[in-house]
Amino acid sequence: MNEIIRVFKAGIYKDNPVFRQILGICSSLAVTNLLLNSLVMGIGLIFVTAFSSFTVSLLRTKTPKHIRMMVQTLIISAYVIILDLFLKAYMPSMSKALGPYVGLIITNCIIMGRAEAFAQKNKPLISFFDGFIMGVGYTAVLLFIAFFRELLGFGSLFGIQILGESWVKWTLMIMPPGAFFMLGIVIWATYGLFPHEDTEKAGVKS
Amino acid sequence: MAKKKQVLYPVLFMVLLTAAYTFILAFINESTIEIIEAQEELRLQKSILYVFDIPFEDDQATVNKLFNEQLEEVNSEEMTYYVYENNGTVDGYAFPLTGNGLWGSISGYIALSPDFETLLGIDFVSHSETPGLGGRIDEEAFKEQFRELDASGNPPVVYRPASGGNVDAITGATLTSNSVSTIVNNFMTNIKIFAEEENLYE
Repeated sequence: MNEIIRVFKAGIYKDNPVFRQILGICSSLAVTNLLLNSLVMGIGLIFVTAFSSFTVSLLRTKTPKHIRMMVQTLIISAYVIILDLFLKAYMPSMSKALGPYVGLIITNCIIMGRAEAFAQKNKPLISFFDGFIMGVGYTAVLLFIAFFRELLGFGSLFGIQILGESWVKWTLMIMPPGAFFMLGIVIWATYGLFPHEDTEKAGVKS
Repeated sequence: MAKKKQVLYPVLFMVLLTAAYTFILAFINESTIEIIEAQEELRLQKSILYVFDIPFEDDQATVNKLFNEQLEEVNSEEMTYYVYENNGTVDGYAFPLTGNGLWGSISGYIALSPDFETLLGIDFVSHSETPGLGGRIDEEAFKEQFRELDASGNPPVVYRPASGGNVDAITGATLTSNSVSTIVNNFMTNIKIFAEEENLYE
């Protein structure tokens, strides 16, 4: 039980993949101009991280140490392809909106990071949970950024107009620089907001 | 002497794992391939119906039925195009349209009247323009400007306020707007040659 709480806290804020570990930045900049895209991207990442962590952990005692990276990549890519096929078949408009970013989930450092840092040393179920929570932490940050970008840039939330016709749209927010500003603000705000367990430890860069 | 690494086991492990995943993926691919093809077909059909301004309800069966009733697919050597016929008279042709946008290629469909002087409609199937700026070529407000557009001028598409202008460009997306007009204008030149060759003027 304690372990579950610890993993939960780590994924959501203590060790949040985006604003603490600064991982998965590329996709958080790219898809956050609309809330719906961010949500689907987040769910996709939760799926891939959870299942690949689970599988890596399941095979951890059988996997020869020196080929583990190769094995992890294979496992991750398989789940990404499954996700890609699923989106193409059942959510074609989403697949079109996310474009190449679905395939690029494989390069998201969060997944491999969790496989190496957690799944390699822990039991399958808790690894699955860790992957899931890390995905949730990522999704939460994406949605937070997308909320402001979509609201200010399009005047809408989930495609529904909120601010009305008179709202002057902030084009900057929709463009890539808007994502940089938002992400910077998020990292800055959360830096002071959540306690640091070990300030001396250098952060992992992606 | 350095510690000897295992050789056979890792190789065998990797082969087995790869085989297992390949099998799973092949199975999933096989079971979704038909749905994916149907989805892509549906998107194409909707796009063609849209360029001819044929009203349709958004479900697969009706779109399929309408498409098969109203349109005829013609495969020529150069491209596949679609003929819209009503009671034996041709009401228009739809052709695929591709060209370079600002960030990547733009592709879509364009419909023309049988005399090739009027644009009936345009639709973009894929593009990689900036969302919110050039990406607005997807919006109805922009695409609807090409409905029943007289394209007999030279060049056929000119942005207002230039003299003879017939279409409004998108504010803040000058380069994308220019790409679209270049694509359409080039297309109009080429299609007339193509129509001569195919004997579509009659």
